[in-house]
Amino acid sequence: MSSTDLAFRQKLRDPGREAWGRLLLLAPAVLLLGLFGVSVVQLIASSFVDEGRLSLALYTDFFSRADYRDILFRTIRVSLLVAALCVVIGYPIAYAMWRYKGNRSHLMILIILPWLVSIVVRTYGWMVILGPKGLINEFLAWAGLIERPVRMMFNTTGVVIGLVHILIPFMIISILSVMLHLDRRLEEASASVGARSYHTFFRVTLPLTVPGIITGTMLVYLMSTGAIVTPILLGGVRDRMMGTQMYQEVIQTFNFPKASMLAFLLLLAGLAVVLPLQALERKLSRFMDQKGS
Amino acid sequence: MLKQRWDTIGIWAVLLFMPAPIIIVAAASFSHDGYIQFPPGELSLRWYQEFLTDARWLRALVVSLGLAIAGALLSTTVAFLAALAVSRRQTAFTRYFEVAVMTPLLFPHAALGVAMLSLLMMIGGYGTFAGLLLVHCIITLPYAYRPISVSLRKLDRELEEASMSMGARNWYTFRHVTLPLVRPGIITALLFSFILSFDEVTVTMFLVGPFITTLPVETYSFIQESGTPVVAAISTVLVVMTLLLVILLERLVGLEFFVEPDRK
Repeated sequence: MSSTDLAFRQKLRDPGREAWGRLLLLAPAVLLLGLFGVSVVQLIASSFVDEGRLSLALYTDFFSRADYRDILFRTIRVSLLVAALCVVIGYPIAYAMWRYKGNRSHLMILIILPWLVSIVVRTYGWMVILGPKGLINEFLAWAGLIERPVRMMFNTTGVVIGLVHILIPFMIISILSVMLHLDRRLEEASASVGARSYHTFFRVTLPLTVPGIITGTMLVYLMSTGAIVTPILLGGVRDRMMGTQMYQEVIQTFNFPKASMLAFLLLLAGLAVVLPLQALERKLSRFMDQKGS
Repeated sequence: MLKQRWDTIGIWAVLLFMPAPIIIVAAASFSHDGYIQFPPGELSLRWYQEFLTDARWLRALVVSLGLAIAGALLSTTVAFLAALAVSRRQTAFTRYFEVAVMTPLLFPHAALGVAMLSLLMMIGGYGTFAGLLLVHCIITLPYAYRPISVSLRKLDRELEEASMSMGARNWYTFRHVTLPLVRPGIITALLFSFILSFDEVTVTMFLVGPFITTLPVETYSFIQESGTPVVAAISTVLVVMTLLLVILLERLVGLEFFVEPDRK
């Protein structure tokens, strides 16, 4: 190694200079994350204050009212249902996309385009389809099957249909990304030792793609608990969800501490499902590593 | 052979359902009638004309475009600088940082909306463009960070060192070696955060004031008030814009990024 080369390498790896440089590069991102962190702390703190004193009043009020409890449990129930439906519908779609022999890019556009279109637009589309004068009701009436419009909107059914369609791309993409990095030879090996195709699927493919299902479930559940537009437009004011309630507290009554309390509960409801799933995912990947070696 | 053809037909039939609601809205937007109808009766461009001549919509469109462009540029720059620093050397701090940068994704959007409102009330900026811009940067940062950090991780440090060992200066190496190699990541980050910011509604609806609003939030309010088919025309414009950006993304860097595994 020549001396100039050595000097160059030293310059390249000068620790002091590099550390300052790195800190400077990280500063804007750290600032943004810091502001985010401050806002979360502020949010949680303001939910525990009542008339200037530390208090649990907002929380005890919330849980003492049956209609509020209903909103929380409905949100969790609907979100779990939406996540489960997304798995059941999304998995076969992801599987078929994985096995597709043609240009997968074209299929991807069909998933990604609706996924990136604004939630408002997609929800509006479902209003046009499900509404009392919507596509389905008009068709059924024309076919003479119904006399009065079927109620598919302004109730939980409408919210679930809308949320499943809006959030299913998260599930399909999560599962597909795990499938695309599977070793195709595992399936072939299973088939070559005489395993039937359903056997190969349930014993090889499905267990290996569970991490994708877990990631997708976390994303869909979180997005569903935090939804506002779809529950308001398709669910109406009766079957409210947490997001709807929070938005009303802020916009109509400007009850900021109460909205913060609801937000913190929503955060906890999210973590209560997401953290166990993350732990399961870690356990699973450790298990598979052990098996692999 | 026959089975395979049926598989192909099957998957296309299922996947065409995905964009069905937006296609129906787009078709209904060409209707002349005063209410939404599918299939549309008499055809006309009446609602597009209303969209493009009403100051209410144009103002919201300009705000949304400005927010998306400025937000995408800012958050991609911030993400790029941070990812560059992290890729140079891993320390305890950068490991914490990599976790922290993804935490906003764990927040349900409604909760994020209230948190961002509390932030803007605290530091000022509620109901201003700057405030909305700050929040959009915070929201899009994880989405901008990931593709860039993935492409930097794939980057071979040896190439940079080779360039410098042949006498190239830091800046020259950065400009002609590093940047072209991470270009796909940067393009993905830019387009992705543009789309997210342009379409964002759940968080933004907490932050708009009487003087400033975005197109998706204004569309949402309008659906609640009356919802004439002008909503369908606006929706169609939003869909076409998103479609063009997705096609651009596909042509420039491909859509494989979306199914890239996050494992290191």
